[in-house]
Amino acid sequence: MSRHWWQKTWLVAQRELRTRGRSRAYLVTTVILLLAVAAGVVIPAIVARGSKPERVGIVGGPAAAMTRIVTEAGRISGTKVTVVPEPGLATAESRLRSGDLSTVLVDGTEVVVKQVAFAGTGGSFPVALANLAGLTKVLGQLPQSTGPNGFALPVRGLIPPSASLTTRLTGLFTSVLLWIIIQVYGQQIAMGVAEEKQSRIVEVILATIRPIQLLVGKVLGMGLLAMLQTAATVAVFLGLGSAVGSSVVHGAAPGIVIAGAVFLIVGYAFYCTAYAAAGSLVSRQSEIGTAIVPVTLPLTLAYVLSYTVLYTNGANAFYRVLGFLPPTSPVAMPVLYAAGDVPAWQVAVSAVLLAAGTVWMTRIAATIYTRSILRTGARLRIRQVMREAAH
Amino acid sequence: MLELTGLRRRYGSVIALDGLTFTVPPGQVFGFLGPNGAGKTTTMRAIFGLVALDGGEVRWRGAVVGEQARRRFGYMPEERGLYPSMPILDQLVYLGRLHDLTADAAHEAARTWLRRLGLADRASSRLDALSHGNQQRVQLAAALVHDPELLVLDEPFAGLDPGGVDEMSQILGERAGAGVTVVFSSHQLDLVEHLCEAVAIINHGRMVAQGAVTDLERGDRPRLAVRVAEDPAGDWARALDPAIAKMEGVDAGRVLIALAPGADSQLVLDAARAAGTVEHFSFESRRLSQVFRDVTGEEV
Repeated sequence: MSRHWWQKTWLVAQRELRTRGRSRAYLVTTVILLLAVAAGVVIPAIVARGSKPERVGIVGGPAAAMTRIVTEAGRISGTKVTVVPEPGLATAESRLRSGDLSTVLVDGTEVVVKQVAFAGTGGSFPVALANLAGLTKVLGQLPQSTGPNGFALPVRGLIPPSASLTTRLTGLFTSVLLWIIIQVYGQQIAMGVAEEKQSRIVEVILATIRPIQLLVGKVLGMGLLAMLQTAATVAVFLGLGSAVGSSVVHGAAPGIVIAGAVFLIVGYAFYCTAYAAAGSLVSRQSEIGTAIVPVTLPLTLAYVLSYTVLYTNGANAFYRVLGFLPPTSPVAMPVLYAAGDVPAWQVAVSAVLLAAGTVWMTRIAATIYTRSILRTGARLRIRQVMREAAH
Repeated sequence: MLELTGLRRRYGSVIALDGLTFTVPPGQVFGFLGPNGAGKTTTMRAIFGLVALDGGEVRWRGAVVGEQARRRFGYMPEERGLYPSMPILDQLVYLGRLHDLTADAAHEAARTWLRRLGLADRASSRLDALSHGNQQRVQLAAALVHDPELLVLDEPFAGLDPGGVDEMSQILGERAGAGVTVVFSSHQLDLVEHLCEAVAIINHGRMVAQGAVTDLERGDRPRLAVRVAEDPAGDWARALDPAIAKMEGVDAGRVLIALAPGADSQLVLDAARAAGTVEHFSFESRRLSQVFRDVTGEEV
């Protein structure tokens, strides 16, 4: 692909950027998306301000000193606390299980919670408490070798660790964003392709450049618009979130944001050409709705089922499979990761599979597009297009 | 010179082009005629590489046409194609740049054509906000914006009002005068007769007649129309030697006579004078529409 090839392709991309980027629809969706994110971040923070204090049990040790540690940890992590002295560890643990207590500090030994947050994220209060209590202990007993947690006490969970609710909410945010962006832009691509085919301008354009250049330019221009809109959305999410000290943002572990970004870009790459191919099969824009259904289905399935993963502990085997299949993984894998159901290496494997699937999909979609973009008349069937030779 | 040699294209059981061959001389307005379904649009699309040919080739100035050459061609497809919701100046600039113009040159050319076509004040209007006639003008500007060497127009006169037809005719003539080769298809044969120096008539994907309009109208067997005052029924002509001429009929007192190839028309005049006073003696030419009917067997 020569410099000239890219120059012409970039012309096509520029046209998309200009005409779509300036359109009212683009501005309106951006504003709505940003407002929705702002509301999603700010409202929980406002609600949290009026929330009840965390009940923290203390076991053993001098009550006054331990109360000071708990209060100070609450101040550091921005959490309201109520200290509840407990007679013994067994009683404290049972009250922890029943939800009567949220955290238990065992003097000089450990911090106990019901469930340790996934990957150490979320639940900022127990971490602050553990650090502070550990420091206090160390200061009292120097010199002593430091443990794996530095000066902090170990945080022990009564049941195996999983992702915290805030992490899951970030996962939900990610999956909603991915689903919306891929759907909306995919549909716009299909509409744009059908518009060019219906208005026959495609004949004038393809007298100057190759179909693949028109295809690449189109998905590139649209992709850039999609990335811009997403970046703005994420910036508002993180910026506004940290400004109001939202717990939703606190759960936005860098890992999930990175996984989300990777799957958005590769997922878009996987789907954009498929939408273009679907658009090239019809002769009128009004037929787009039915033509893109097969392309829309897998991602919608992954999106709808994501609620079953985000609100339960441990994803089912079916959803884990969806996490590795290229058509569903752009939504399914970030959800699984956010819910703490898969380790990072599996996310990487899924991303590689998706990238490989993208190469395959692009080839097929480009073939369909090239063969059908100049053929008008009745709506074409994929099998018919693939069987026949070029137009 | 545009040369099309042995173009073949089959769609399933339908043969669209069946070894079509013809040549368009440079700097001419050339009419490309044929009944519906004869293969005109397929031929034009083949020039732009929009149809994969089963055989044959298209040459421009002696070389097989490739991508680069095509960017110096201008094309107006049968079903008009532009972006309905895009401002017209932007579309023209975009198309100009796809045809290798720089951004500045494309702007300048687009503005020049819009001015020329009386659309200067509509530069920022969307295409679909314009009247049908103005949309046609933009379509023409789109084919011309990059100052092409070869202009191919599929039914450029379809749907134009008389003013639009005049404007289009004038521009096509002007372009040919500037050295551009102009090829267009049309069913309006009066217009073709008036505009074109030469035409090609195709049917069923094959060439059936080609040449200068005047030659085609005269035909390969010239016909004479003769009126002898004393013999309106033309009995004198029945006695003509078949090796020289053959009487075909009588039309309003004029005897129509087909001259044998190479025969001297003056021998017929002599025979007529011998029969009486010759009031009328002329070579009878066919109208292009008659030629079309004769070679395709179909009405226009």
